[in-house]
Amino acid sequence: MLIPHPLLGLRDAQEFTYLGDASLLNRPDTGTDADPEAFFAYTHLRDNPAGVHRELWFHEQGDRSWLVVTRNTLTHEILGAELASDVKRGLA
Amino acid sequence: MTRISGGLIDRSRTLSFTFEGKRYEGHPGDTLASALMANGVRLVGRSFKYHRPRGIFAAGSEEPNALVTLRSGARAEPNTRATTIELYDGLEAVSQNRWPSLAFDALGVNDLASPFFAAGFYYKTFMWPKAFWEKLYEPLIRRAAGLGALGGEPDPDAYDKGFLHCDLLIIGGGATGLAAALTAGRAGASVILADEDMRLGGRLLMESHALNDAPAVDWVQGIEAELESLPNVRILRRTTIFGSFDHGIFGALERVGDHLLRPETVRQTLWRITAKRSILAAGATERHIPFASNDRPGILLGGALRAYVNRWGVTPQAKDSDRIAIFTDNDDGHRTAIDLVAKGIPVLAVIDAREDAQRLGEYQLYKGATVTGTQGRLGLSSIDITQNGLTRTLECAVLGVSGGWNPNLHLASHHRGRPVWSQAHSAFLPPEDLPQGMAVAGAAAGHGSTHAALRSGAQIAAQLSECKPAELPLAEDAPHRQTPLWHVPGKTRAWVDFQNDVTVKDIALAHRENMRPVEHLKRWTTLGMATDQGKTANVTALAVMAELTGKTIAQTGTTIFRPPYTPVALGALGGGDSGVHFRPTRLTPTHPFAVQRGAPFVEVGQWLRAQYFPLKGETHWRESVDREVLAVRSGVGLCDVTTLGKIDVQGTDAGDFLNRIYCNAMASLKVGKVRYGLMLREDGFAYDDGTCARLGEQHYVVTTTTANAGLVYRQMEFARQCLWPDLDVQLISTTDAWAQIAVAGPKSRELLSRVVEADLSNEAFPFMACAETRVCGLRARLFRISFSGELAYEIAVPTRYGNALMARLMEVGADLGVTPYGTEALGVLRIEKGHATGAELNGQASAQMLGMGRMVSTKKDSIGAVMSRREGLMADTRRLVGLMPQDPQARILAGGHLFAPEAERKTETDLGWVTSACWSPHLNSYIALGFLTDGEARLGETVIVANPLEGDEAPCKIVSPHFIDPEGGRLRD
Amino acid sequence: MTDLTPLCALGAPEPRRTARGALSLTENPDLALASLALRAGGAQPAPFGLTLPGPGAFNASGEVLALWTGPGQWMLAAERSPDADFAAELRAQAPGCSITEQTGGWCCVEIASATGAAPLDRLLEKLVNLPPAALCPGRAARTGLHHLSVFVIRRSTDRLAVLGMSSAAGSLWHALDAAALRLESFA
Repeated sequence: MLIPHPLLGLRDAQEFTYLGDASLLNRPDTGTDADPEAFFAYTHLRDNPAGVHRELWFHEQGDRSWLVVTRNTLTHEILGAELASDVKRGLA
Repeated sequence: MTRISGGLIDRSRTLSFTFEGKRYEGHPGDTLASALMANGVRLVGRSFKYHRPRGIFAAGSEEPNALVTLRSGARAEPNTRATTIELYDGLEAVSQNRWPSLAFDALGVNDLASPFFAAGFYYKTFMWPKAFWEKLYEPLIRRAAGLGALGGEPDPDAYDKGFLHCDLLIIGGGATGLAAALTAGRAGASVILADEDMRLGGRLLMESHALNDAPAVDWVQGIEAELESLPNVRILRRTTIFGSFDHGIFGALERVGDHLLRPETVRQTLWRITAKRSILAAGATERHIPFASNDRPGILLGGALRAYVNRWGVTPQAKDSDRIAIFTDNDDGHRTAIDLVAKGIPVLAVIDAREDAQRLGEYQLYKGATVTGTQGRLGLSSIDITQNGLTRTLECAVLGVSGGWNPNLHLASHHRGRPVWSQAHSAFLPPEDLPQGMAVAGAAAGHGSTHAALRSGAQIAAQLSECKPAELPLAEDAPHRQTPLWHVPGKTRAWVDFQNDVTVKDIALAHRENMRPVEHLKRWTTLGMATDQGKTANVTALAVMAELTGKTIAQTGTTIFRPPYTPVALGALGGGDSGVHFRPTRLTPTHPFAVQRGAPFVEVGQWLRAQYFPLKGETHWRESVDREVLAVRSGVGLCDVTTLGKIDVQGTDAGDFLNRIYCNAMASLKVGKVRYGLMLREDGFAYDDGTCARLGEQHYVVTTTTANAGLVYRQMEFARQCLWPDLDVQLISTTDAWAQIAVAGPKSRELLSRVVEADLSNEAFPFMACAETRVCGLRARLFRISFSGELAYEIAVPTRYGNALMARLMEVGADLGVTPYGTEALGVLRIEKGHATGAELNGQASAQMLGMGRMVSTKKDSIGAVMSRREGLMADTRRLVGLMPQDPQARILAGGHLFAPEAERKTETDLGWVTSACWSPHLNSYIALGFLTDGEARLGETVIVANPLEGDEAPCKIVSPHFIDPEGGRLRD
Repeated sequence: MTDLTPLCALGAPEPRRTARGALSLTENPDLALASLALRAGGAQPAPFGLTLPGPGAFNASGEVLALWTGPGQWMLAAERSPDADFAAELRAQAPGCSITEQTGGWCCVEIASATGAAPLDRLLEKLVNLPPAALCPGRAARTGLHHLSVFVIRRSTDRLAVLGMSSAAGSLWHALDAAALRLESFA
């Protein structure tokens, strides 16, 4: 596969390592009185859609950016890729 | 000899080769198949299941029968198609699947027992008794099955890999591919043109048609010369595009040296081609028509017969008087007859199944007739023709069979696209949902005539490159006229898949046993599952199934294809990385020092680390290791610890960031201090540990375990970018930038004070202090940390000075008895001290189990903190404990399980396991660490370490994991 | 000044070099390296008068070169003796940035072609999976090479530098040399 890196253009997926569901961005940061149920859901519950999926890829053999890649898991079509830090900040 | 005139072989040169040990001659341009034919060799191999005599059936990579073992010894390559082997001087080949000889094969009895070997035979027969499978059935089947065998020696050849990028990849260099390459190449696109053959031209090389009233090969050579002159066009000959992968990525195998006696450099190159667009111009493969006993040597595809005549100037006759007939259901069969006659070779008969067939040349035509039987022991001698219910037998040694053409759409369906049946073409055409960027042109798209192929290649390339199509030569444009005959009914076996010995009867049996969907048919009969993937068989087989079920072919559907298009050697897929170069090797900065000292090395991930440093006279590794351990405990030792991961953390929020990464507090760490840190996974289990040193207000250096260096860095980048991008923190790995040496033992301060330009007194530089300083006039970092439990330091200098520093420390510490130590002693020292490593941090241990439960701060959030407090983890009473065997000499092994002395040794009573064990020279006893249920409460009790596999048991006293100095006084002095 | 004698990344006192047909490979032991990362909200500095380049590029001025390595992050390289504290030098040039010493962390192999771009282009396609445009003169990339993470800097049509982690210098050299040797045999 080719990943459309937002800064470097198309790069072969071999340069990346895969993590999974981009919902991992949404850590329930609530300081010391965090809700264990929320952490349970965050840690263990994932969607595994047959279709469009937002997922995390790390450009390990590249610029070390974490990307949020939107991919159709049925066709492998890639609909977009953004810097995860931009996504987290609400910029993308 | 059956050489005839013409052909694209160089008759001025003669090449010598052997088949079955017998010497023959051929010419450059020959394949092994054409050269064998030229020498009258018809019997080439034995079939897979029935050991039937087989000859050459095709003229390209679709060949199902003529498989040989090429070369000998370590280079022996089994199951190689004689039709694709380029002849070279000194070639050696032998037949396969026969014993004692090709002409007399003992397992030919399988053929007599054929009723037993029908479809599903193995599934039905070898089901029971179950115990027979491993001991009897499988070895038996393995011995009888399979074709050629590997040499059994390591492959001596080199393989290479590479990466190519282009605007347009053209798969196939025949009429279509050449027209496409010319169009796109002239327009300036970067083009790769790949063809599996030794020369460009594809089917044009095998036909007698003229282009622009001149031989087609003239046009091919002209185009080839122009393409060669274009810097933006790259031609890959002898290169098979074997797979189409996501997003325009293709696998290609270039046979760089397979046409040579020995490769000059590499044998094959595996290319990964990334193409914005691609044109599949792979042509078509001819079908045969199954009829009774249709597998004898001498029976071959009509188009292949024509190819041998036109391209290689040879016929499959054993002698000139052998007669040739054609069996066809379409006009293409007649074309073969016409070409033979034009070469002066009489054609005995054209047997055309169509009632309305027309005679197109000088031969006798049997209309509405079929071949219903054949005779001949090791090769065809006669055929039975049935016409209007009457059967006659004709003497004939060669029969060309033409059943129409199947587009080579394999790569078009590698992404699960389903080929579409076309009644007009009597063939499956490429799917509509093609791989990204791919277009299909020429015969692969069902354009059968030369004119249509040329036009389609040029037009599609013009569309993709947004330019005008290249002007095309005048070429034949004959219509496709066929009335498909899918098989000739009869009681005698009629082969569909020659390589896996699947007959029409097998398909009928699969039908009766309800294995009717094509996927079931395939698996039940093994149809199309041989190395040729059924290129000449699959469509015919499912047409037969359609007939049996009364469905149309469109309703029956087809299986799809997977890479590779043709077999690829594993050596090539390895891309040349083998032996020590299979993966990178990392060396520590003091590697030269360790080599000089004769240290053996151990692989730790990619690293090679010195295991121990033997002295003269030491005969056993334990002798060296015990000495090294005692030297550290009583004097001073040196160990290269560069392999620990080092990550530089800077920024105004660096402390806050580390607070969130480690379960214990880090922001409160003072400048000039080091703290032990434990990282958890978000699920609450312990992840990794190390030290965190604060070198400046906004500057920390953290260490990771050797094994996890890359993973921890990745995880920290995840935290920085994905969880808290608003923190001002910057990370970079510095593992390789610093050589780090542990200086450990009561005399370490004495030794270091001789080279370090700083006050090392306990007051000025106490336990857990760190500083940037100078050593031997060089910038350095000094940490007062200890893995051994002794007074100890780690000193870091720029990497390239590491080896010199080691030598200097050895030199200036000679009077102190300074001793280098390796990973073995390091392990003993840390077990004696009760420090956890990967054996304890195994992904299943919690902080609590490690005795560090109180480290998990409740005053802040950190990764894994919340989940570490969940009930299941909190309720776990297993704790890390020390174990001392009652008999100090009782050897304990890591992996042993713990039981109460009186308990039965079974899973339900299992109390834990030994994580690490060693001989402690300091305590003169074996010692171990392990996780034990209710570990804390059991201190002082006895537990059994059991190794049920070997029947060993050792009663052990449960003690603190800190065998040495549990109060830590030695560290702080 | 230190009286310790440094080794080159390939483990010998002298840099390794070899010639393979039109190509020469030379270990460059006089390359001092330090990384520079911007602090949050910090302005982009111009150390040694260099404009820090954008993604996939490098800028060189005199003996100093700046290479983009990631968002807000660069590697700076300069010709220095092995004991030079280039990180300190850079820190002075880029106040308010995070600077990390990297000199010992990398092995730099300089590859030169005696016959123009072609041999280097052929070599690169055996080594890295990047389109030629990504490594034309003036371009640089961090990518994978034989399971190693490397920086590839196309200094000019006929010069190329490959930097890999110093601990794996031997594996890097083997990969480069084997590829060059195979090209030589074809030439």
